[in-house]
Amino acid sequence: MIQFELSDDQKQIQALARSFVRDNVIPVAAQHDREETYPATVVEAAHAVGLLNVSVPESVGGLGLSMLDEALIGEEFGYGCMGIYTILMASELGIMPLLLAATQEQQERFLGPLVEGPRLAAFALSEPNNGSDAGGLRTRAVFDGDEIVISGTKTWISNGGLADFNVVFASFEPALKHKGTVAVVVEKDRPGLSTNKLHGKLGQRASPTYEMFFDDVRVPVSNMLGEKGDGFKIAMRTLDKTRIPVAAGAVGVLRRALDESRKYANEREAFGRTIAQFQAIQFKLANMKIALETARLQTWYAAWLADTGRPHAEAAAIAKAYASDSAFDAAQEAINVFGGYGYMNEYPVEKLMRDVKLNQIYEGTNEIQRVVIARHVLQ
Amino acid sequence: MKLITVLKQVPDAEARIRAGAAGVDLDGVTFVIDGMDEYGVEEAIRLREAGNEVEIVALALGPARYEEAIRTALALGADRAVHIETDVDLDPISQARVLAQVVQQEGADMVLVGGKQADWDSAALGPALAEVLGWPHSDWTTKLELAAGSVTVEHDTDDGHESLSMPLPAVITTQQGLNEPRYPTLPNIMKAKRKELAKRALDEFGAGAGLTQITSQQIQTRERLGKVIEGDAASAAAELVRLLQSEAKVL
Repeated sequence: MIQFELSDDQKQIQALARSFVRDNVIPVAAQHDREETYPATVVEAAHAVGLLNVSVPESVGGLGLSMLDEALIGEEFGYGCMGIYTILMASELGIMPLLLAATQEQQERFLGPLVEGPRLAAFALSEPNNGSDAGGLRTRAVFDGDEIVISGTKTWISNGGLADFNVVFASFEPALKHKGTVAVVVEKDRPGLSTNKLHGKLGQRASPTYEMFFDDVRVPVSNMLGEKGDGFKIAMRTLDKTRIPVAAGAVGVLRRALDESRKYANEREAFGRTIAQFQAIQFKLANMKIALETARLQTWYAAWLADTGRPHAEAAAIAKAYASDSAFDAAQEAINVFGGYGYMNEYPVEKLMRDVKLNQIYEGTNEIQRVVIARHVLQ
Repeated sequence: MKLITVLKQVPDAEARIRAGAAGVDLDGVTFVIDGMDEYGVEEAIRLREAGNEVEIVALALGPARYEEAIRTALALGADRAVHIETDVDLDPISQARVLAQVVQQEGADMVLVGGKQADWDSAALGPALAEVLGWPHSDWTTKLELAAGSVTVEHDTDDGHESLSMPLPAVITTQQGLNEPRYPTLPNIMKAKRKELAKRALDEFGAGAGLTQITSQQIQTRERLGKVIEGDAASAAAELVRLLQSEAKVL
């Protein structure tokens, strides 16, 4: 059996996210982009209606929403502002390792508080000299009695300096490579932890991105997720899932590019008719529609695989690479539809392109996604 | 006390509606709870939040798809719902006769219903319901306060607005300005699943086929007259002024 109908709940979740984004995100998106400021009121409002940290399990007071639910929410936020969505998405990314590997006690301690206020989690894997090669971590974790001492530098950490906690990946034994890594929850107020907000991003400028410095930061061993040696595995299993919301956000950007292009093409006139009547424009719209429908289907499919406990790494990689590549193409074609106006920040389409560029890069570059896909093809 | 909010489900105002020879084509259209009715649901919740002991029952008469709108009302804060499920298109008077029976069976103290229905643009349901029940009624209500056994309202009139006081039970029709409806929160959407939604059949209420029958439907289309004024500039301008004065009556 196959069916494409959303459940009543899912339709309501989608409708809520859509109205929320229309009223709270779209009106402030351009301003936060220009000023590179954190949209605190949007995050507070999202928490108030329950759209923040939706994957926190019911057993610790959350909603325990599924990946498909998250994909529905992601598309709506991506439509409104990919940068603002990254704040919510990166918090779910910080939660995921705990869903996969935390004990009930750890979930209560770290995830419970996330539903009580507009609080964020974060995921700290990338380092200044190490991105895609997650096995070659330079951040060190030294076991000292019942404590772990962390030292090193992380970078490109979305929410890093704002989050209640970061899940930090570090190596306790570099010679063991992947098998010498751990995942450790580091709370915001641990002595020795300092952060620096990065400036000058091309897009997604509402989303705060940090460098993080760990200067012999001590946390109890009870903050470690899983066992010694599980770090890399937890990171990869996390990303196999969280690439789905990255794809969903890109689907939202794609839908926005199509909507804005359609509206403009129906208004703008050239040579005595609206430009929508020219095939050159119609083909662009049609190509955006083809990409939108196929990217959404693949994203939902990957989410369904993840939700039903099936292998989903390849499907998630396809969704992430395809949705973000085609959203980037659609956004830059939208600029072509708008002509000179598309190049100006008075209109929303140039921001779509700047924003969705990052979906091609973070949570595994699209080159890495193709490595993942090829590995499945060849295996 | 018991409050009944009557609701309809209508096409989303942003939906593109097509019309053909067979009438309005609703295939693929997104439906939402009628915005006018949503003010009633919101007002009922606010009465509870103000400290009144109230039970809120959402009541709807319409096809199976109405269930989504009913779930929205439950997610917003209605305690339970009654859905009279039918595909029959009833006129407002016949609808009122059916709905009034449920209102009486429930022993409600107040009925809140949208001032105007967004789909057929009818404003008859609220007044008709008051008429069938023999209850006092305030239309186009923008302010509402409960007192012991009575309600004070402000409502729009042609020239402004007036305040009224009426004993309960009463029918209140709601509109923009009464309040600002909230979003259903995600936790409440999840909880709404577990709330009671009772299904009733239309033939329990002896409704018959209704008082009016739709024999044909047409969507209003805007057409240009396509009139071209001939002649030289001076006489064409004179003719244009004459047309604007005598035909278009805009000068």
